[in-house]
Amino acid sequence: MSLTAQPQHDARLPADLAERMALQYEVEQFLYDEAALLDDRRFGDWLGLIADDIHYWMPIRRTVTVENLHLEYAKADGMAYFDDDRADLRMRVEKLQANSAWSENPPSRTRHLVSNVRLLEVKDGEIALEAAIHVYRSRLNDKIDQWIGKRRDRLRRVEGGFRIFERHIFLDQTVVLSPNFSSLF
Amino acid sequence: MLDHGNRTGPNDGASAHEDEVPIPDFSDGLVDRSIYSDPRIYRRELQRIFARAWNFMCHESQIPNPGDYFTTYIGEDQVIVVRGEDGLVRVLLNTCRHRGNALCRAELGHTKTFVCSYHGWTYGLDGALIGIPGKKDFYRDDVDLGKWGLVPAAQVDHYGGFYFATLDPGAPSLFDYLGDVGRVGIESMLTQGEVVVLDGVQKNVIDCNWKIAVDNLFDWYHVKVSHSSASRVGFLNQRMMMPMSQMVMLGELGHAIGGPMISQEQQAKIDLLSDEERRTLDGLPDAERAARAPVERRPLRPVAAKAAMGPVGVRSTGHPNIFPNLWISTRGMQLSLRLPRGIGQTEVWWFTVMPKSFTAEQRRVARKFITHSFGPAGLLEQDDGENWSQSTLSSRGVASRRYPHNMRMALGQDEVLVDPSGQKRVETRVNEHAQRWTYKCWGEWMRARDWQELLATRSVSPVGRI
Repeated sequence: MSLTAQPQHDARLPADLAERMALQYEVEQFLYDEAALLDDRRFGDWLGLIADDIHYWMPIRRTVTVENLHLEYAKADGMAYFDDDRADLRMRVEKLQANSAWSENPPSRTRHLVSNVRLLEVKDGEIALEAAIHVYRSRLNDKIDQWIGKRRDRLRRVEGGFRIFERHIFLDQTVVLSPNFSSLF
Repeated sequence: MLDHGNRTGPNDGASAHEDEVPIPDFSDGLVDRSIYSDPRIYRRELQRIFARAWNFMCHESQIPNPGDYFTTYIGEDQVIVVRGEDGLVRVLLNTCRHRGNALCRAELGHTKTFVCSYHGWTYGLDGALIGIPGKKDFYRDDVDLGKWGLVPAAQVDHYGGFYFATLDPGAPSLFDYLGDVGRVGIESMLTQGEVVVLDGVQKNVIDCNWKIAVDNLFDWYHVKVSHSSASRVGFLNQRMMMPMSQMVMLGELGHAIGGPMISQEQQAKIDLLSDEERRTLDGLPDAERAARAPVERRPLRPVAAKAAMGPVGVRSTGHPNIFPNLWISTRGMQLSLRLPRGIGQTEVWWFTVMPKSFTAEQRRVARKFITHSFGPAGLLEQDDGENWSQSTLSSRGVASRRYPHNMRMALGQDEVLVDPSGQKRVETRVNEHAQRWTYKCWGEWMRARDWQELLATRSVSPVGRI
């Protein structure tokens, strides 16, 4: 590729660079704000960013050989760690807000780091993106969990921002090296 | 012929030193905390419990075709469960006979052979050593492949498609091992006909001793407090836990069932209904069903379940444990294995069992309920792990461990009744009978040097006051 060649750009994204950059900025700021809500334990506000038709899903990932990579994730009609709709997420949020959710009282301290945000498609006010996440959880005095993985989100543009209507979480662990997932991703 | 199967090693546990491990007595309902913290106890558990017991491997539907495999553990021995070209399921130690390397590093898959990544020793699906690089040039043909196959489990068998294996050739048959109580447990998964295990086993690690996770499955006392947040958000119906109406069945070798029950009067009403009438009732909306069905819990077990589970077993809707570590959970739709990973760590695995007859909608509803109950994200299970971790941790404190756990609830307060069918049970309130029974049998396993001694010294299922 010569130095003067225009970079290839994906037809599924806006053709204009400035427009793409503005959108990228807007989406990233949204994801950072969303992460801050979780870290600040403003779970009710976080739920406000979740669309009514959300599919919130974390499939089971397995250690497999290269020849068997098609088996790496359990099938969609099989089991998952999370397979939630909005009512399920509301239940999780209400549970987090109850003093008797013992896995969160005393509360965990989390930090949701979101990076490598890549817009995949923009169409009819809907944005598909992929991002790397690093969720750090410090629990009690000496318990640390770290979950690193990839998130595939779909956002819908609404007045004043976005709503998340799809969140698929792919962790880079197979056996989950934590006692629970009482945190949200 | 594999001549190296099922060896007993010099350090397997019968040494004088190991015999000095004190195994506490539980007859007074007190649990010495050393069993959760003494590394000698843990080593002996691996030898005298896990290497001896029938351990759950997987369900036949997880490895349907020749070459399909699933890896799991017997104690800390990793094993490959594999279906051979002949269709037979074998259980092989996952360790190369050359230098001990793990042959298979995947959790599941399909293969034609197992090839060691260290020097290339190659084994067939039946475990036979079928090739070694340099056999002629380096070994000068001085190696008998027939003697160096993978070590097979001593016995492999299944009950209703659920495969188990034992490393001990002296173990009784699986059928006898399970006994009535163990078989009632497995039959409780088969009341709706043939089943499959859904793709995807949830696995996570909890810093607790494996026995604390196991005894909790009989604990209907913790539900109200540990899981109060799940009740508060409307996920868990505390009334369905039926703390005042509980049944306990105690089986030899440590199997047990404990939890809610269907009373004899309720069962008599159910007995009058045909399978079609039961299905119709279960299909009604909650309120209407509640007004018409003899019991709140759905589904009503079909007519044939009474013969399969027995007149007492069919009335139990509690939690069976197949000793040592297989919990049949969630109305017979889940299996939870509690795999020891050292004295203070447990890997919890969840298998999901679904009747083949379920419609897509029934399957969806069941999956949703299951995903939200157990597994690391389960609204119930989230809050268990930390309790278990802290109970385990406190067994390490010099002063704390001087004080035994109190497991005396309803000790000496209840009566084991014997049904004309021979099935025994206690009908009572929330209690700790099944936990005490589990620990009592655990002690018998730990004291007996071999199966012969265990079978001679084990307690029979009690009758009368317990």
